[in-house]
Amino acid sequence: MRMRSETELLTEFQSSRPQAALEDLFERYADKIYRLAIGLLGDADAAEDIVQETFLAALDHRLSFVGRSSLGTWLYRIAYNAAISSLRRRREEPLSEESDESDDGDALPMPKSLGDWALTPENLLVDAQTRARLDDAAQRLPQKLRAVFLLRDVEELSTEATAEVLGLTGSAVKVRLHRARLLLREALAPAFGSPEPRGV
Amino acid sequence: MKCEELVRYLSDYIDNNLNEELRADAQEHLATCRNCHVLLDTTRLTTALYRSRGDQVLPPTRRSDLYEKIKRAVARQDAAGLEDPEV
Repeated sequence: MRMRSETELLTEFQSSRPQAALEDLFERYADKIYRLAIGLLGDADAAEDIVQETFLAALDHRLSFVGRSSLGTWLYRIAYNAAISSLRRRREEPLSEESDESDDGDALPMPKSLGDWALTPENLLVDAQTRARLDDAAQRLPQKLRAVFLLRDVEELSTEATAEVLGLTGSAVKVRLHRARLLLREALAPAFGSPEPRGV
Repeated sequence: MKCEELVRYLSDYIDNNLNEELRADAQEHLATCRNCHVLLDTTRLTTALYRSRGDQVLPPTRRSDLYEKIKRAVARQDAAGLEDPEV
């Protein structure tokens, strides 16, 4: 199948015959959205529901898409909002607002574990135990940091696209990404690193 | 550059967001500070581990079920006669 350009895809998606364009979008983004939703919710079944909800909502609201962002960014935004609604329902309590406030006031988490890790970038064996450690560390991150980390470092969206998905400024994305990386590194260090008492 | 500054600028260093002067300062510090060098390496490894995680794709049967549901939703819209929009 020939890859449609973004413009072709959008035109077809917004026509009265969106089937083929939707199939194309599903092929391109279903797994990405599933991964983001698992990361946000920590639950594969709930993540599958988010994928369904995202594509059905995109179909219903496709005429309201005006092309300020890419279709992919728009789908991520729908999925993110659906996942946050799901979290709110599940917890039956309000999550902290996704405003840019309070980022500057939080002290930067200073690194404590500074032993080398018994890993190299060329030899990353991600077995079941490692996956469980990664998931546990990510789930313990504050939700607002986790979302930025997943979009920027796992899905490899740009700072600008991440800011669009989350409704943040670019600088808030950078601040949150930095905190997320430092916290995750610290959380994983006991599993991969040799003990080193001194901090920076 | 001191260690505290390196920690503050670490992600900007990794993401190539520092100006030339700060980048040179950071590189000079990293060349002599083992702790900060370990911090840089292990922060990069953290991201690499999550990217290498793999296995998080929709299960094939669930994928086709989901896609069938979406196709049915398109068919329902067809039946309801959605107007061709002006794009």
